[in-house]
Amino acid sequence: MPDFQAYRGQEPPRFANRAELECAKVLDYYGVPWQYEPTTFVLEEDEDGRIVEAFKPDFYLPEQDLYVEVTVMKQSLVTRKNRKLRKLRERYPDVRVKLFYKRDIERLAERYRLELAS
Amino acid sequence: MYLTREELQTRVRELGRELARDYAGREPLLVAPLKASFVFLADLSRAVAIPHGVDFLELASYAAGADSGGHARIRLLKDLDTELAGRHVIVVEDVIDTGLTLNYLCKTLSLRDPVSLAAVTLLDRPYRRLVEDLPVRYVGFTVPDELFVGYGFDLEERYRNLPDLHVLES
Repeated sequence: MPDFQAYRGQEPPRFANRAELECAKVLDYYGVPWQYEPTTFVLEEDEDGRIVEAFKPDFYLPEQDLYVEVTVMKQSLVTRKNRKLRKLRERYPDVRVKLFYKRDIERLAERYRLELAS
Repeated sequence: MYLTREELQTRVRELGRELARDYAGREPLLVAPLKASFVFLADLSRAVAIPHGVDFLELASYAAGADSGGHARIRLLKDLDTELAGRHVIVVEDVIDTGLTLNYLCKTLSLRDPVSLAAVTLLDRPYRRLVEDLPVRYVGFTVPDELFVGYGFDLEERYRNLPDLHVLES
């Protein structure tokens, strides 16, 4: 695990996949402060108030007040994630969140020569 | 082909007129990060019909930093030769997408006390922005999410000299 300098979280980040790690390295390289999965947004509760659906975006950029969700799924398979994002925006209209699709990550990889193989 | 040399020149001349109008009597300094913006800067400078300065800097690319091993941070490979204190500075970018590079540049150059700091970019992909709070005052073309070569843009250091802008087929 790299020695991140712009990481602003408490616990060491445990990335779900290589694309998240590479995104973290890019943010760190450019000195943009970032946190990893700091917030869970409740999207739906049942009648007893139990959480039935939630969304935890991958990154939070405090200086930008922006959440970033990274997905390596094909564009055709991100419908569920898009639906969650739509619900988040409806329930939390003041929260700024951006979804980085596989294509966006590939563009970053082409430009920055990221290692996304695994 | 995405943009012909005529379309590029027409837009660059328009940008030059806007800059000349907005910075009249202020002798701005055009600052271009190497390398891709050098063609745009050369044309833009000749289209800005007021006295102005030109300077260059070069940033270590992310790929070069990652290849060097250890923990990499962005850094200047070549610094400006010009003092910025008291100057009106215009960063001349080839393309802005995530805004990470320009954000770093603005933070770094702001520490040198310029009177003002703005950016002009030939190409813009605003829908890919991660950093929003940037002084992008002048935009040549808003472009789709494609890779380009020509007019300063390269593929492994080739094709920068092409006078038109081409979409790179993957």
